[in-house]
Amino acid sequence: MCGICGIVSDSGPPDLALLGRMMGRLGHRGPDGTGYYRDRRAALGHTRLAIIDASGGAQPLCNEDGTVWVTYNGEIFNYVELAEELRHLGHAFRTSSDTEVIVHAWEEWGEACFPRFNGQWAIALWDRRAQRLVLSRDRLGVRPLYFTRRPAGLIFASEVKSIFADPSVPRAFDPAGLDQTFTYWSAVAPRTVFQGIEQLEPGHYAVLDSSGFRKARYWSITFPERGREPVQDARENAAALRERIIEAARLRFLRSDVPVGAYLSGGLDSCVTAAVIARYTDAPLHTFSLRFSGSEFDEGLYQKKISAVLGTQHQDIVVSPPDIAEVFPEVVRHAETPILRAAPAPLFLLSKLVRENGYKVVVTGEGADEVLAGYDLFREARVRLFWSRDLGSAKRARAAELLYPWMARSPGRTPAFARSFFGRHLDPADPALSHRPRWDSTSVIKSMLTTQTQDRIGGGAEDVVATMPPGCEDWDPLSRGQWLEMVTLLPGYILASQGDRMLMANSVEGRFPFLDADVVDFACGLPARHKLFGLEEKYLLKRAFADLVPDDVRYRPKQPYRAPDAASFFAAGSPAWFGEVMSERAVHAAGIFEPSVVAGLLAKCRRTGGENMSNTDNMRVLAVVSTQLTHETFITGGGRGGTERALPDPAVAVDLVTADRSVP
Amino acid sequence: MVPVDGDTIEQVLADYAALPRCDADPELEAVRAAILIEDVFGVTLSDAEINPALLAGASAVAALAARLQGAG
Repeated sequence: MCGICGIVSDSGPPDLALLGRMMGRLGHRGPDGTGYYRDRRAALGHTRLAIIDASGGAQPLCNEDGTVWVTYNGEIFNYVELAEELRHLGHAFRTSSDTEVIVHAWEEWGEACFPRFNGQWAIALWDRRAQRLVLSRDRLGVRPLYFTRRPAGLIFASEVKSIFADPSVPRAFDPAGLDQTFTYWSAVAPRTVFQGIEQLEPGHYAVLDSSGFRKARYWSITFPERGREPVQDARENAAALRERIIEAARLRFLRSDVPVGAYLSGGLDSCVTAAVIARYTDAPLHTFSLRFSGSEFDEGLYQKKISAVLGTQHQDIVVSPPDIAEVFPEVVRHAETPILRAAPAPLFLLSKLVRENGYKVVVTGEGADEVLAGYDLFREARVRLFWSRDLGSAKRARAAELLYPWMARSPGRTPAFARSFFGRHLDPADPALSHRPRWDSTSVIKSMLTTQTQDRIGGGAEDVVATMPPGCEDWDPLSRGQWLEMVTLLPGYILASQGDRMLMANSVEGRFPFLDADVVDFACGLPARHKLFGLEEKYLLKRAFADLVPDDVRYRPKQPYRAPDAASFFAAGSPAWFGEVMSERAVHAAGIFEPSVVAGLLAKCRRTGGENMSNTDNMRVLAVVSTQLTHETFITGGGRGGTERALPDPAVAVDLVTADRSVP
Repeated sequence: MVPVDGDTIEQVLADYAALPRCDADPELEAVRAAILIEDVFGVTLSDAEINPALLAGASAVAALAARLQGAG
């Protein structure tokens, strides 16, 4: 896992000093080494977190004759098999790294190489002969890749802060990106919250050459027509799912030259991955967990139990609300976007614990909820669909009481409110029936925006629903909900603000067996009832691993990962930075939120200590705090943190402009 | 209605029977069972059929599902 950046320039050789500054801003992604390549048209930079072939895998790396160069962030987990295939086709390898596989795969198969990769990647290839830059991103957006198109070229990087190392790149919020964030929880690729900064869509590659800039999709999320799924037998599907998950976890645990740890949340998904590693590999397993000082969020009992059953060496960190407040500016600096939950902050502290214990790779359960239907949102959609068949039925209306059993104020305890909330916009023909309640409740944030911001946004969020694939009306309703979740929240928030950014902030790589290409393709082809059986979430996963996961973990009510939100900033007094960032002057200067409305919200929080706030108010607080921090850090440029690291001397230093060349 | 063959019906009912039960509120459990039946078999139950007496236990659910499939 690493940081990548680069410049393509039509107006003279790229600026090597700028490339150096860009790399400096990616030091946290790759503290183990650096490298660069430059010719008269392109420059590639790399900061390395050395995991595979520490001695031979330095980047940028080229083919045999130096005509194709690559800078790459990620892992191609099937690189051993691909290298074997490429050797048979006549390619000569001089390293045992997965990076070199990319170069030869590109030479052999061109853009058809990407569907052959099973992994998580952001790749930039420079083909000197064709004067062509190729960017590629993994199927589901595990690894980030941003770029900005310039009048005379393009700049790309793993993180926006690296692109902003170029002072000529304008810094402003994109109103449409903010609008998406305050609807879907994040901007949806290719959009970001910054004007002129794009992110390559997951499952896509982009080409810049003499014909211009263009993008193409190499993989898409798709589901079979309901009732036409290839295998209807649950036993057969459970066995096949188990086989694929075991292989995916083994690949992610064993294909590393450094020790790999695992997260244990206390829930099913991380328990499955840890249990598979414990059962099917010989290596000792070190697990890491996040605990909370408040019992509402803590899952320590389950974590300890799972660790004991699996016999892991276990460590945890206990996070309190002031801990979250203290690191929050740094969290936003890494997330590079407003975030509507404080939940990324504890994950930042957890990856710090991992790194302090000498680990730089962890396997986690991320992706299972999207791929195998674990979220309450999917249960909620099924309940709403059930209710919509007879809105006048008192019995059907009671179905809302079956939702969110973990919530202190669950629908079962407030049935009248639940019926009113879940009954809004209840149209069974709506392809986004699953997501309307979330999007509606999130959009309340926009009532706090200044008139000027609202005017700049215009007529409502760009409609993700309009981009749903043709034929999706024949999918099961669950599949449509999964598609929306895998296009919005998964890449934009779960894998980014809660995933890559919080891990890489402390130079830790995350690996996600449930997002393995074979697992995802197989899961998408399952009958919906094998994923959500009635209201039993992740049914097939529970069945497939019944022998490895303790029953009380398998059948405990799903408890989503949450952290204290508004309470983090008020329960124990507000940190010094909070007063500055949230002052009326600062809110007015940023110009996004109406200062008087923010003042009213803050007064309410102070009265309550941020405790027992509604979901909407919690989201409002986080939206304002994180937007203010994003503005301060990236728009005005004078934010907290944001320093460039001192980088190690480059292991690869190729400058064809001055004819300097140093390659190990 | 989604075409569901006899083997699948049997399997679904066996799987349903194996699920852990929470019988604190019989009417709510009948609602839970009705959600599953409607989703899997593509039928719509009447309010009278969303009834603990008709949906209490796997054998009752099996009888109801068979009747609905036959009617379909």
